[in-house]
Amino acid sequence: MATFDTSDCYVVEGKLALPYTYFAGRVGSTFITTLRDQRKIMGVKCNACGKVFVPPRQTCERCMEDIRNNWVALSDTGEVVNFTVVRYDDKHLPRKAPFVLAMIKLDGADTPMAHIVEGIDPENMTEGLKVKAVFADQTTNTILDIDHFEPVK
Amino acid sequence: MAYRKKNRNVGIVGIGETKFSSHREDVNQPEMIHEAVRQALDDAGLTMNDVDCVVHGNMELFEMVHQPDMWHTLGSGAFGRDSFRLTTGGTTGGTLAGAADNLVASGMYDVVMAIGFEKLQEGHTTGGITNMADPLWARKLQSGALTAQAAVKLITEFGEERARRAAMTYRIIMDKHACKNPNSHRAFGLEWDQMDDLMTTSPPLIGELRLIHMCSQSDGACVVIFASEEKAKQITDKPVWVRDHITVHREETLNLCNNYYPTETTHKFAAEQLYARNNITNPLEYFDVFEMYDPSAWWGLDWIRDFFLLEGDEHIKLVENHEIMMDGKMPINPSGGVIAANPIGATALVRVAEAAKQVRGNAGPHQIPRPVNHALASSFGGTMWTVLMMLEKELNW
Amino acid sequence: MSQDYGVTPNDIFNSMKDRFRAEGAAGISSVFGYDITDAGRWKLTVKDGAMSIDKTDDLSGCDVKLITDSATYVGINIGKIDGMQALSAGKLKVEGDINTFALTSRFFVKFVAPGQDAAPEQELLVLKKVISVKQRFATGPVMGKFLKGLKVQKILAIKCPECGRLQSPPREACAICRVKNTDWVEIGPNGEMRMMEYCYYASPDPLTGETRETPYGAIGILLDGCRDEEVFWHLLRPDQLDQVKMGSVLNGKVTHGSRLRPVWADNRTGGISDIKYFEIDA
Ligand SMILES: [Zn+2]
Repeated sequence: MATFDTSDCYVVEGKLALPYTYFAGRVGSTFITTLRDQRKIMGVKCNACGKVFVPPRQTCERCMEDIRNNWVALSDTGEVVNFTVVRYDDKHLPRKAPFVLAMIKLDGADTPMAHIVEGIDPENMTEGLKVKAVFADQTTNTILDIDHFEPVK
Repeated sequence: MAYRKKNRNVGIVGIGETKFSSHREDVNQPEMIHEAVRQALDDAGLTMNDVDCVVHGNMELFEMVHQPDMWHTLGSGAFGRDSFRLTTGGTTGGTLAGAADNLVASGMYDVVMAIGFEKLQEGHTTGGITNMADPLWARKLQSGALTAQAAVKLITEFGEERARRAAMTYRIIMDKHACKNPNSHRAFGLEWDQMDDLMTTSPPLIGELRLIHMCSQSDGACVVIFASEEKAKQITDKPVWVRDHITVHREETLNLCNNYYPTETTHKFAAEQLYARNNITNPLEYFDVFEMYDPSAWWGLDWIRDFFLLEGDEHIKLVENHEIMMDGKMPINPSGGVIAANPIGATALVRVAEAAKQVRGNAGPHQIPRPVNHALASSFGGTMWTVLMMLEKELNW
Repeated sequence: MSQDYGVTPNDIFNSMKDRFRAEGAAGISSVFGYDITDAGRWKLTVKDGAMSIDKTDDLSGCDVKLITDSATYVGINIGKIDGMQALSAGKLKVEGDINTFALTSRFFVKFVAPGQDAAPEQELLVLKKVISVKQRFATGPVMGKFLKGLKVQKILAIKCPECGRLQSPPREACAICRVKNTDWVEIGPNGEMRMMEYCYYASPDPLTGETRETPYGAIGILLDGCRDEEVFWHLLRPDQLDQVKMGSVLNGKVTHGSRLRPVWADNRTGGISDIKYFEIDA
């Protein structure tokens, strides 16, 4: 590679800072407000393929069926089907490292959802672990109204 | 210019548009898109199983959601299908239509669905656009998508009184069209006797660009389904044929804050190339309707000259004589255009969709009163970029 | 633009009792102060799923205090003004933890002015966020040389060896001729005004998140040594917006604009702000 004169090259510090808004919509709002006010986790069922989705969605993406009204109450317990240990710190992450992010299939659901698992040493985490939702005291109107999951005693 | 003949003909067979509005709190992004997807499928009489490929696009940094094509599979129908994401700023919708046309014409796919969307209420539009500019220089200077340069130029060339009246005439015509389009976001019911009042009382944004002149910030989605000639003829008895399209981009440096005429514009350059290779010598005679991406009344007025290769003040006269109204010589934006509704990533695709509906003759209350055989649709974006698409009723060119 | 439906801060505070949702206030125990500078002060106490609102000058004992004017407060409540933007624009101040204030959206149903669309039958969640990411931009040798020139009060342009056009800020290649630009020339620093964007509306600067003072003038200057479309983009001295004359070239006919000169910043770091603005060269 040819060398070139880099004496005029330097780095300028900058930032990208912009406001934005997210509208959860009817289905997403129902899911979160039910979680927040009733501490109940709800999914939706596709009558065509029989799958129960959580987090819920308006349309089954496989069957293109409108499933927005097919609410089913799910258990607040489930099983870890996969997980990873987050071992670095970043201001966007919900916890200090190390912490466990897991895919949890709630009892009664067909799709796993991502969440934090606490109350177990990351080194002892295993797939198949039975876990239970712990609800947050302070609402953020997000999925973090479930604060975390912990192993079922 | 590298230009090759199409491998096979391509027709538009399905169209879906949401109602455009200032905000949609009742749906998230994939849910909003799904409304247009469902409509387009129903319009074509197809299911997602008939669609081979989905091209999806919007303007980056407008909703602050990255990889929207991935999580939009919850509404777009792209689950398990080939899918591409495109983003070319304001021209995104035109690029989507052009890409879908190319994907079908090439023989790679028989049926391609193009999806354009934006939920501008979710982001900060002018802030997002400013981020497009060079961080070392222009971000400190660029005023988002707002500019009064067209106003300054028109005033320099045609005098203040004539230019301002023509721009407001253009604006009121667009509103009269928008009032007929049930999907419009903004339709005020402006009357001709409000002209003088609006020219002085509408809040100024930049120079002579006033709030009333400027496009809206809208939420909405548009879907257009393209199919090969063989498939199109099976799917519908009214396919709209895509004759040709052209894309012209220019260098990144914005040539802003100038007052130099004549300026070579991408619109004029694109129009000249497109008409020459399709043997169209008089575009004003040839086309029956034009759906223009007109972000403001000043730009819309100014650009008529470029798109139809007019001279002197011919474009001003077309507006002054109301020849761009639905029953005029060259109806422009029977839909009400971009000033009436601007969900940016969908906007240019809406131009194609609306032009196609005019060719089919089922645009609804804003269908122009005479038959439409040849339609033109434009897109605008980036640093003054252009996409132009020509649509035809018959396969006879 | 005054679409406030005739609502006053009084209307909003008086309606709080009717808009209160006890179930949303579970577990919240806080005192909120509202200092509406041109309308009065109110104290909102929320405890044990109940609330009281008092108009009082004494805002002592509040956990968190919001300070703003009537127009901003009403605007936010009827959804015409974005609270985060009012906050970043300095139109609204919060003393104490801002997150505590965010709780009010949990236990109050949205205020609806008479004549405004009725509230939806379902609580629809809207999350407001600000994305803020640190960035680092590499100047490269061409932009770097240009920016360094500003430090020593020189404005440099780069010249296309084929068409001869000047670009400033410079680019490594001429995109029209598709050749590498090679020669540097010094231009200006004085020049002639071509066009001004007289900006009444400012969007946030994405580099800082701050919104510029309005009105301001973004201008194109034909610096001495440049021709045709080779204008330089910068700002005009704010108090001279109404004193300058634009210039133009209309099919060869030249109209001269005001003569301008740069005003250099004292502390120059090799960036666009090394020139504060241009002013009339009288
Ligand atoms: Zn299904």
